[in-house]
Amino acid sequence: MRLRDVTKAYGTGAAKAQVLRGVSFDIDKGELIALVGQSGSGKSTLLNIIGGLDRPDTGEVEVMGTDTQKASDATLAELRNRKMGFVFQAFNLLDHLNVLQNVTLPASFSHHTKHAEVDDRGREALRKVGLSDFAHRKPGELSGGQKQRVAIARALFGSPELLLCDEPTGNLDSDTGREVIDFFRELNAKDGVTLLIVTHERRISSVAKRVIAMRDGMLVETTDEALAVVGNGGPHA
Amino acid sequence: MMPLPKLSRMVVANTLRSRRHFILSAFGIVIGIATFVLFLASTEQVGAVLEKIFPVDQVQVVAPRASLAGLDVTKKLDDSIVKTILARPEVKSALPRMALSFPAAGRGDFEGNDLKFEVGGFADGIDPSFIKEDHDPRTAELFKDWDSDPSDTQHRVACQAAPPSPDGEIIQSPRPRPRNYKPPEPKAVPPGVPGMPVVAPEPEYFNPCPDPDRYYCDDTDHMCHHRVPIVMSPTMIELYNGQFAKSHGLPVADADFVKFVTQRGGLSAMRFSIGLGSTTIAGSNTSIRARPRRVEGVLVGLSQKAMPIGMTVPIQYIERWNREYLGAEAATTYSSIIVTLKDKTQIAPFAQWLQDTQDLRLEDSLGEKFATVLFVVRLVLVLISLIIIGISAINIAHNFFMQVTERRRELGLLRAIGATQRDVQLVVLGEAGLIGLSGGVLGVGFGILMAKGVDYMSNHYLPRFPYKPETWFHFSWWIWTGGLVCAAGFAVLGGFLPARRASKMEPAQALTQN
Repeated sequence: MRLRDVTKAYGTGAAKAQVLRGVSFDIDKGELIALVGQSGSGKSTLLNIIGGLDRPDTGEVEVMGTDTQKASDATLAELRNRKMGFVFQAFNLLDHLNVLQNVTLPASFSHHTKHAEVDDRGREALRKVGLSDFAHRKPGELSGGQKQRVAIARALFGSPELLLCDEPTGNLDSDTGREVIDFFRELNAKDGVTLLIVTHERRISSVAKRVIAMRDGMLVETTDEALAVVGNGGPHA
Repeated sequence: MMPLPKLSRMVVANTLRSRRHFILSAFGIVIGIATFVLFLASTEQVGAVLEKIFPVDQVQVVAPRASLAGLDVTKKLDDSIVKTILARPEVKSALPRMALSFPAAGRGDFEGNDLKFEVGGFADGIDPSFIKEDHDPRTAELFKDWDSDPSDTQHRVACQAAPPSPDGEIIQSPRPRPRNYKPPEPKAVPPGVPGMPVVAPEPEYFNPCPDPDRYYCDDTDHMCHHRVPIVMSPTMIELYNGQFAKSHGLPVADADFVKFVTQRGGLSAMRFSIGLGSTTIAGSNTSIRARPRRVEGVLVGLSQKAMPIGMTVPIQYIERWNREYLGAEAATTYSSIIVTLKDKTQIAPFAQWLQDTQDLRLEDSLGEKFATVLFVVRLVLVLISLIIIGISAINIAHNFFMQVTERRRELGLLRAIGATQRDVQLVVLGEAGLIGLSGGVLGVGFGILMAKGVDYMSNHYLPRFPYKPETWFHFSWWIWTGGLVCAAGFAVLGGFLPARRASKMEPAQALTQN
């Protein structure tokens, strides 16, 4: 993954807010990176740009060989469907679907997944997160930690190379948060999945191979400085 | 674009999850489509009934009545006029009608009642090919000029005609000899008086022809002839059912004529005598060339092509009878010409041509006026239902705008896991279409239910009247198909803008906003 001089602003005129100011960095395959910073520092925006959910105003973003600036909507959608997984703070599970249906939802947009193998792959993803017995439960019947594990299983359904996580432990208690962090570390170590985790969570920073900190839309590159940023703010500091 | 089966599954799951949303969105469609199909089906049925009474695809050419110094100088409708009309490019066919132009009277037996009626002025002839257009094989087979049919000559055997009635009246059509008939024993006259002579009673005359169900013995040439086939207009049956049957305590005729005839013993039950040159009207002073004679007719079927009040026979019979009783002029003069146009819209120029070049005109067609009125009524009713459906489409749009706002996170999530803008648009449009289609199915069902209710009320509480239909609605396939297409189409139209908004939504913002 390669980002060069990425800028992004929202609004116009006096209301214009410059969120990213020339962000550049590279991420290698198999890295586990924590993206830290205070609220409004631009980390979620950066995550969305990397995930192709948002486009930068200027600069270059190359993700797994795809120039997201120039790629079509369909190309980006396929990239998200086949090579990326997203985990959100708010889980974003669909309440009318059961756990298995939530996990297999990405298959709805895939031309490469055969109908017969969808459920098996969904159950395999659920097994990975330890929720094999919850396949037919509705999200409303699950705890916060279980919901987040379902969301992670959904992100893992397509066997992604890159997992983008936006405050994945933000809505979890500390014990459950720790379990999730341990799972991410294991995923990175065993399966070689690249993880970019936006977080305020000091524990994640401690397990990350690299910590990238952001302040006012710019990067603070070194891990020490980054940890200092985490220490200066954030709810879990 | 996402695979169609997967899109369908997602659309169904999304639609079924909120009963409230479904009912709110589909309610208007259900009502709109119910009225749409109900209005169309009722006007379709009324149109079909009107077309039965007044065939709108045919016009009748007549010669305007004209007299000069007391003389009838009305233009003669003859074969040359028929040929001229046929030569017109807009004309598909031209078939003449010839009226029976001299007195004739009928006598028959119906349900044990001796019926006498006037035939002269209430009978005409048409070409048998005209009846074939009705596509009733039974009637088409029987309605022909049997007397000039070479294949029927084997039935034309010599016979002894019925003796005339002593009172000079036309006799009833004689019945065939019953199988176990025994002639009455000779009896003393007066009975029971000893010593008086024993006298054999007058033997009854039976139809002597080999096939008495279809043939009768003609009293002119003393040969068996097939009875003259007659068709009557359904209007006659309606008038009979509506007025005559009730006032005379007679059974109501079934709309299924074959069934009605079969119940009464078959075709020969519908036979009767026609006294050519006879009349039931006192003081008739028409001069005729031949002496009165009796022929027999048989009602072979109902046809819209028959004259509305009266009876219609193959034109060859009328030609022969007019020639026999009035001369060659009457045998070559038609009362009207039925013209079928290739295109209904050509009626006006054809009428103008008739008037300008032929001094002829079209018989005033009530059917055309009714058809115009019906067209306007149908247009208004369809417009009303389209307005209802249109309003429900706006309602759908409103509901879906709310839905799209409420489901921002969900739609954003779909984008995050691989949906394109087009996929999101299709999902929302699919949901709108499914709601429309479901509303359409319910609406068609509701419309049919309402129609059944109206029919029930009509059949139980509305008195019988001519042409009263069994049902007031005709749900042609195109009506309910149109209803479903309309429902889905309007719903998709209503969902279009919300779907567009959903697809244009920034997924990053949608996912982060509450």
